[in-house]
Amino acid sequence: MSAGPLLDVRGLDVRIPVRDGTVHALRGVDLRVEPGEVVGLVGESGGGKSMLASAVIGMLPANAVTQGEVLFRGADVLTMTREELLHHRGHGAAMCFQHARAALEPMRQVRKQLADRLRAHRHLGGQGVHDESRRLLTEVGITDLDRVLAAFPHELSGGMAQRVMIALALACAPGLLLADEPTTGLDVTLTADVLGLLRRLATEEGRGVLLISHDIAAAALVCDRIVVLRAGEVVEMGPTRQVIDTPRDDYTRELLAAVPDIDRPLPPVDHRSTAAAPVVTLQDVHVHYRARFGRTGHHALRGVSLEVHAGTTVGIVGESGSGKTTLARMLLGLVAPSAGRASVAGTDLSRLDRASRRRLSRSVQMVFQDPLGALDPRRTVLDAITEPLIPLGLSNAERQERATAVLRRTGLDDRFLSRYPHQLSGGQAQRVGIARALVADPDLLVFDEPTSALDVTVQAQILDLIRDLAADTARAQVFVSHDLATVRSFCDRVVVVYLGEIVEEGTVAEVFESPRHAYTKSLLAAAPRLGGRLVDNPTAREETTS
Amino acid sequence: MAPGVLTWTGAVLVAAVAILALAAPLLTSWGPEDIDPTAIRQGPSSEHLLGTDLNGMDVWSRLLHAARIDLGLAIISVAVAVAVGAAIGALTGYVGGWLDALVMRILEITQSFPTFILALAVAVVLGPGAVNLGIVVATVAVPSYARLVRTEVRTVRELGYVDAARTSGISNLAVLWRHVLPNSLTAVRVVAPLNVGWAMLALAGLSFLGFGVPVPQPEWGVMISEGTSDIVAGRWWTTVPPGLALVICVLGFSLLGEGLQERETRRRSR
Repeated sequence: MSAGPLLDVRGLDVRIPVRDGTVHALRGVDLRVEPGEVVGLVGESGGGKSMLASAVIGMLPANAVTQGEVLFRGADVLTMTREELLHHRGHGAAMCFQHARAALEPMRQVRKQLADRLRAHRHLGGQGVHDESRRLLTEVGITDLDRVLAAFPHELSGGMAQRVMIALALACAPGLLLADEPTTGLDVTLTADVLGLLRRLATEEGRGVLLISHDIAAAALVCDRIVVLRAGEVVEMGPTRQVIDTPRDDYTRELLAAVPDIDRPLPPVDHRSTAAAPVVTLQDVHVHYRARFGRTGHHALRGVSLEVHAGTTVGIVGESGSGKTTLARMLLGLVAPSAGRASVAGTDLSRLDRASRRRLSRSVQMVFQDPLGALDPRRTVLDAITEPLIPLGLSNAERQERATAVLRRTGLDDRFLSRYPHQLSGGQAQRVGIARALVADPDLLVFDEPTSALDVTVQAQILDLIRDLAADTARAQVFVSHDLATVRSFCDRVVVVYLGEIVEEGTVAEVFESPRHAYTKSLLAAAPRLGGRLVDNPTAREETTS
Repeated sequence: MAPGVLTWTGAVLVAAVAILALAAPLLTSWGPEDIDPTAIRQGPSSEHLLGTDLNGMDVWSRLLHAARIDLGLAIISVAVAVAVGAAIGALTGYVGGWLDALVMRILEITQSFPTFILALAVAVVLGPGAVNLGIVVATVAVPSYARLVRTEVRTVRELGYVDAARTSGISNLAVLWRHVLPNSLTAVRVVAPLNVGWAMLALAGLSFLGFGVPVPQPEWGVMISEGTSDIVAGRWWTTVPPGLALVICVLGFSLLGEGLQERETRRRSR
């Protein structure tokens, strides 16, 4: 239409009145997106990223008090009438939501969801809908069109659902695509795929893309420019290279420092003794979920063998669905092995009765992925931490003493003992989770993606804490993650799981420097690197499935 | 705004009835079962505020004392129903499997009878009396609480903190008691007050039909039942006051329950 920017936010100020005062959500934000450009909006939760996205599609809370302008192709979104807004959403700017599988209507097939949109917004008929649906799915890189069109959202993988979400957003041919954390919950290879797609939509089709992310490394892969938002204020803005290489703001530096660097030289290996009996012994272990109530059975682990010795940390990496979570749950006795020999600290996992379960819980503890979800909302921190001590039959005073000691060790003071989960931040909740896992002094600690639900700077703090704990030679640790850089930075050995099998195992140096299996290679290639380039390697995944 | 006002109206109505019930002996000089032979079927006067019934008993005094039985019995029977229902629901929901399937089918069978018919059947088996009446009302209410709690338990048992508790080494029963049950009572907290109103109606209804409290004891349903012959003769004071009292109680508990429900939905949507 005109040569001006696609989106031009000028001095946007948003205040939301709440019960006790006003939340100043955005403070004088300036932001431009040109056609054909990918702009990264980076910052941590509560920084105002989502509020800005809502402003761009005209979905601010009704009671929001705004100043400034949100110009889209020269028209101010903030002053649009209802009809103009309806046209603007979809045709002008379209939004791809976080957690694609949850954001798709669960009861309608992909075919119907696409058709609904094409009929309503583009007034297409039968054949038109059919052709356009296929074109859109092809555009987002889906090849088996018939299967995806006939699928319900729950039948799609996370990456596939995200592609469908993007196809739906593209259905009305919008000039601007807003992608709100499009890669949350996706593993490295899928993340690379989705980011590559966004880049292509901008470069080849001249759309503007606003990529909202808490992960500055991911944003750096595809964005032309990066805008760093903190507490509603733009603290830094500039071309990607400049922001990454010469950050001017302290907060940007903090975000960058928190990114685990996969290319950093490895620390010298201290050869720890592995002479003692292993804490974990798995021999040809299978886990088979039986089919029931119309659900098909699922062979989650196929012949896994593994040993973990005291004093070592073993990283288990793999994509979602690879079986790594099943492996972790089995070590805790939450899932029983269907075949093979599995034991933890001398307790046989295949025949757990009441006594052996109690013994097992004393030797293994787990730190969970969702720190707040792992705490009972109706119980205090003290209750949560002392719970593993109940079977030990200690007095109240002894329990409280141990809880305080272990809480201090995780970096919180005893004021937290009387708090409830909703009074904790994500990082604090995870410290409580770690304290709880440590309190009964287990032989094995299992971490299940302990930082994936946390903001990047908090992630770095929690990882520091876990690294400290790893120095304790009396304990073995298993660290389940899809974040390769994190695993590399403090695990001794790495196990790569793919489709329920261990495809590669070795020391960190062996696996990261000379990977043997094609799947490991593709994982490493897809890992986000600061200043790296997006590697578009669609064939890697096909090779590994054969 | 409006939901708040309604909730408070409900609370005030219920509180008023409760206070009148507790203060009954102070508000009347006649005992509820005292007979005044000089005044039978007399209209309201300064001596008998709401007149007397066919036995010469003081209606005002009986009305106040009946609130103790009706309100008290309703609350106790609902409490018993909640306790038993929650226990059944928590156990079957947590354990699952064939036990769950069996218990649920039995509950479904009992629920397929119209509630009042079922109550009548149980009442016939147990015979009359205040305690039996409470048992009847509680029994009939148990299945709905069991199902409510079971549904929530099945959601809660899959949550992260339940897994966390199971790995902490405490027994299954302790996990159920400490974590699953307290977090599975949200719906019950809303439904129970609402059901107290229903329980009062059921109590009065059964007593009206003669399956409840024996005659000299004051009870609203019995009072209405005894007064039926007075209505045609124009002696309204033996039936209208207990009827109104019932209306006020049921209304109060309904408003209170709906207010709580409103608050709960708001809390969840936040």
